[in-house]
Amino acid sequence: MDALILGAKSVIAVMLLFAGGAKLADVAGFAATMRLFLPWQPPRAVVRGSAVSVAGGELLLGAGSLSSPSVRWLNPVIFAVALLFVGVAAVGYVLYRGRSCRCFGALSQRKFDALGVLRSVAIAAIAAVAMAAVRPTAVHVSATERALLTVAAILLALAALAAARSVGSSQITESRLTVR
Amino acid sequence: MLAAVFFVALSLLMCVACVLAVLAITQVEMGGSQAIKRDGMRAGARAPRWALTDAAGVAYTSPPQRPLQLVVFAGHSLRSFPSVVEGLRKLAAQATELEIVLLLRHPNEIAQPMLEVLGLGSVPVLTGTPSLYGRYNVRVSPWLMFVDSQGRVRASSLVNEDWQVGRLYQLANLPLDSAAAQASSRSGHRTSGIEV
Repeated sequence: MDALILGAKSVIAVMLLFAGGAKLADVAGFAATMRLFLPWQPPRAVVRGSAVSVAGGELLLGAGSLSSPSVRWLNPVIFAVALLFVGVAAVGYVLYRGRSCRCFGALSQRKFDALGVLRSVAIAAIAAVAMAAVRPTAVHVSATERALLTVAAILLALAALAAARSVGSSQITESRLTVR
Repeated sequence: MLAAVFFVALSLLMCVACVLAVLAITQVEMGGSQAIKRDGMRAGARAPRWALTDAAGVAYTSPPQRPLQLVVFAGHSLRSFPSVVEGLRKLAAQATELEIVLLLRHPNEIAQPMLEVLGLGSVPVLTGTPSLYGRYNVRVSPWLMFVDSQGRVRASSLVNEDWQVGRLYQLANLPLDSAAAQASSRSGHRTSGIEV
C-alpha cells in the first residue's frame, strides 16, 4: 500500500515540475490563458506576475514534495491545486472548448476538451491517493537522498524550461510573404 | 525503509524518463522541415556582432559600414541552387549600397573559386564557425539574412529561388515594425520567412 501512495506522490511531483518548468518558458502565453478566466481585465503586469507565481508555485510544490516526502501538509495543498486544475479544465471546456490550455507550455498542444477534463480528474485522483497516510519510516529519506532528489527536480525543471523555450520560439513565426 | 528506497528510486527514474521524453519531444519538434523554415532571426532583432577577414586580408564587420549587409549562409553547396545564384548576381549588380558576404560554417578552400565560377567572384568569403551559425540560429543553407548598419536584422529566410532573393531584399528595405522590434528584443530567434 505504501508503494502505491509513494508512487502517486512521485508521479504528481514530477508532473508539477514538468508543467512548472514548461510554463515558465512561455509566461506570456500562459498569462493569456489565465486572462481568459478573469472576470475583469487587470494590468498586464499583474497577470504576468500571477502566471509566474503559478509556474513558480508548481515548481516549489513539485520540488518540495519530491525532496521532502515526510512533509505531510504538502499533500493536501497539492490535492487542492489538482482540484483547481479540474475546475479550470471544466470551465475551459464549457467556455473555451478547443483553445490551447498551455498546461505544459509549448511542449504540449493540449486543448480545453473532454479528454482534458478527464485527465485533470485523474490527476486529482492520484493526488488524493498521495494524501493517504504512510508509515513514518516509508518517507524517511537521508540527507544524501534528499540532495539527490533536489538535484533531479532542478534538472527536470530546467530541461522542461529549455525545451519549451526552444520549441516555443520555433513555433512562432511572422511570415509576411507566402506567395510569389 | 524499503518503501523510502522505493520512493527515491522511482522518483529518480521518473525524473530521468521525463528528461529523456523532453529531449525526444524537442528533437521531433525542432527536426521537422516546418521548424527549420522558422530558423533564423526575427526582423528587428540584434544580429551577432563580428569582425572577420577574407582570404585577401580585407576586414569585414557586422554591423556593416554600408547601410545594408546581406549575409549569405552557404558553402560550396550554393552551386546546387543556380536560381539563388542568379538572384544574388542580380542583387549584387542592382543594389550598389548593399554589402554581400558569404559566411562559411567551416573553413572551405574551394568556396572562393566556386563563387568565381558562378559569377559571384566579387562576393567576399568569410570563414565563420558553427557557434556563429548558432548565434544566427541558422542550421540549413542557403539562408539569407539582411542586417542594417544599426546591427538589426531586417529580413531572414531560407531561399531556393531567385525571386525569393529579390523579395527578401524588398522586405529588408521596409521600415521595421516597432512591435516586431519589441518582441524580438525579448527573443531574437524568430524569423520573418518566405515560404519555400
